[in-house]
Amino acid sequence: MNDILKILQDIFGGRVSASPAERCCYASDASQVEGMPDYVVRPESTQQISRLLRFCSERQIPVTPRGAGTGLAGGASPVRGGIVLDMSGMRRIVEIDIINLQVIVQPGVVADELNLALKPHGFFFPPDPGSSAMCTIGGMISNNSSGMRSVKYGTTKNYLLDLEVVLADGRTIHTGSKVLKSSAGYDLTGLFAGAEGTLGVITEAGLKIAPLPRSRRLVLACFPDAETAGQAVISVFSAGITPSACEILDRLTCRVLKRCDPNLAMPDDGDVILFEVDGQESSTAEEARQIAEICRPSALSVRVAASRKEMEDIWAARRLVGAAISRLDPSKTRIYMGEDVGVPIGQIPSLIRKVQQITARLAIPAMKFGHIGDGNLHVALFIDVMDEEQWQKLRLAADGIHRAALELGGTVSSEHGIGMARAGYLPEQLGEEALLVMRSIKKALDPANILNPGKLGLEQKNEI
Amino acid sequence: MKLDLRSINRCVRCGTCRSVCPVFEESGWESANTRGRILIMKGLAGGLKADADVHSSLNTCTTCGICTEKCPAGVNPPTLVEEARKELVAHGMVTKEQAELSKRILESGNTMGDRGERLAWLSDRGLLKARSDYVYFVGCMNSYRYTKTAKNSFAILSRFGATLLPAEQCCGSPLLRTGFDAGELIEANVRQMKQMGAKTIITGCAGCYTTLKNNYPAYFHISSIPEFLAEHISELDLQPLPIRVTYHDPCHLGRHNKIYEEPRRVIEAICDLREMKASRENARCCGGGGGVRSGYRDLSLRMARRRLKDVPEGVDYIVTSCPLCIRNLRDAGAGEKVIDLVDLVARAIGKQCL
Repeated sequence: MNDILKILQDIFGGRVSASPAERCCYASDASQVEGMPDYVVRPESTQQISRLLRFCSERQIPVTPRGAGTGLAGGASPVRGGIVLDMSGMRRIVEIDIINLQVIVQPGVVADELNLALKPHGFFFPPDPGSSAMCTIGGMISNNSSGMRSVKYGTTKNYLLDLEVVLADGRTIHTGSKVLKSSAGYDLTGLFAGAEGTLGVITEAGLKIAPLPRSRRLVLACFPDAETAGQAVISVFSAGITPSACEILDRLTCRVLKRCDPNLAMPDDGDVILFEVDGQESSTAEEARQIAEICRPSALSVRVAASRKEMEDIWAARRLVGAAISRLDPSKTRIYMGEDVGVPIGQIPSLIRKVQQITARLAIPAMKFGHIGDGNLHVALFIDVMDEEQWQKLRLAADGIHRAALELGGTVSSEHGIGMARAGYLPEQLGEEALLVMRSIKKALDPANILNPGKLGLEQKNEI
Repeated sequence: MKLDLRSINRCVRCGTCRSVCPVFEESGWESANTRGRILIMKGLAGGLKADADVHSSLNTCTTCGICTEKCPAGVNPPTLVEEARKELVAHGMVTKEQAELSKRILESGNTMGDRGERLAWLSDRGLLKARSDYVYFVGCMNSYRYTKTAKNSFAILSRFGATLLPAEQCCGSPLLRTGFDAGELIEANVRQMKQMGAKTIITGCAGCYTTLKNNYPAYFHISSIPEFLAEHISELDLQPLPIRVTYHDPCHLGRHNKIYEEPRRVIEAICDLREMKASRENARCCGGGGGVRSGYRDLSLRMARRRLKDVPEGVDYIVTSCPLCIRNLRDAGAGEKVIDLVDLVARAIGKQCL
């Protein structure tokens, strides 16, 4: 047995694997980025991780932290080999502290499980990625995840109070405390959010929670085109209403939704906006009425969802629509590339138009849906993965979409992260100097570059 | 290795299956969930060596199908797993447990390798008929282990004219689920069914049911006992019982064949039914299927223990309609609290064995 394996077994006992079959399962996330790890370890404590990182820093062994492996940019793919640190086994809710409006969790806790535990207390953890049934809090923090409700509730970063982080050399720090606000020095908590495991390994998190709204209502409005839809959204905000979700679905998306669930009464003759409002019973009724009134003059149709069940069915279908295309056409698979761009919200109609042109030119079918309320558009591209020509077109389309977003002053990722898939766009998006600052921070905290190397454009050479 | 890459490639690796796989709940290693298994199949197609770890990844799947239920991309992993097992077996890659199981079944005609008389539970062979529209297919478990259930089933079904195969063999399910060929067994059973002029085959085992229905030539109408009982409910003269029960959906009856309503209808005609914490499409597997019980007994029982945590408080019995589920749930600690639907019906009719 080699000495690395021996040391890993000394630290992690039986929770180490060097088996080819196991390593094969940890070679990628849901993106197309792959890299074969040499070992997989499944830690149970902060101390184990501290020992591991100290050892890996000394020996310059790459360590790639991983949650549930649901990422869409290769953030958890071990592109330089080394060790995958599967954090999903550290899944204890350490404390539910309602009096102080917070919880303390281990990073492997799954988002929906946390909300299930908070529900009896009348609280919830608002960030709601489509993958909430499986993604871990650690992964959400590391990618600054969010979802449909970010238009009102913000992103994961807005809920972080304190992180316990093991640094590359094995030291453990806390970045905050239980206070709800603090004005004391650099925002270290914010630094580790969205860092994709390149600066340290998060081993515990103090999270702010919010009271569960008593009521939700959903307004479905169908517009002749995305521009008109975008105008209606701005009118709703201007009327003093902040929807708890504000989603746009193009015609193809609506058709796919209806094919997946024929019971959904979804218009499919235009671009649909789903406005959700939450709060007290009386306020949601009034706000839903107002939204319908604002939309009516320019919409083809407007209605308020009839029941809680209908609303839940629509949201459930919306969450899974991205992957659903192969139910309708088994020869096509959704490939997550160019899927998470964002622009200033006023530019959403232009972005949709550009995406339409790009995908039409390449003859790739594309569903377009997303969070119009915060400018985040998800483009779902489908190809026959057995056809190399379609792969080439797909890469061209994804590149075109990323560049279109940047031209409109946007971002290549709004909530899924950069990983390796989008690393090459960072110099353009952030600017060379800003990227140099990021590299300086990385160098200060991880001089041996062991933590998730190859990601975030932190290395000099990153190909697109 | 010949694997259905078209279907494998439909997986987008979103990880939805990871959040529901009952094996993964126990293991925690990626290779023990559906997404991992699919990645391993892809690996096999690309040259990954089929070693012991590949075997334990593929062979620990109970084929419960909860991943199929949840998969947004419409992948059907149990089929892929069974095909991959078949490929491994075809290439001579077989575990010791698999080899023993296959040998046992082919030599004895039953899963247990029991050398005894399969119809020993039948008190009077004179009750057998040479020809009948209805045949009660008993299955190995009820023939040898749960003979009271076999007696009760036959007593009820013979009222409707059902008879038995003179020389019933294992349906072949354990072989088919673990990658082996079951052609000889299927042929032997089908030959007898044809000779008897059978039109409908009725079985009380979820494993036999799905095999008869989906792996046998489609000469006969296949009915599960819950379906048959529900269909004839008015003719059963059921007396209400002052008890409260819950119902465990066997995966191969529920998710695989969508039989959810019929057993509930029968139970509700007899007594109070309280649902388990996860039921119907979402029911958690008991861990007993897909060859997992014979190959990985400890894992199988851990899954059963977790399933028992879904039982609501204050119920007198856990009713189900699959002897494999009954055995696993009983062995996991629930003991005689787990009963077959047929035994509940027999009690409601008035006599245990009629």
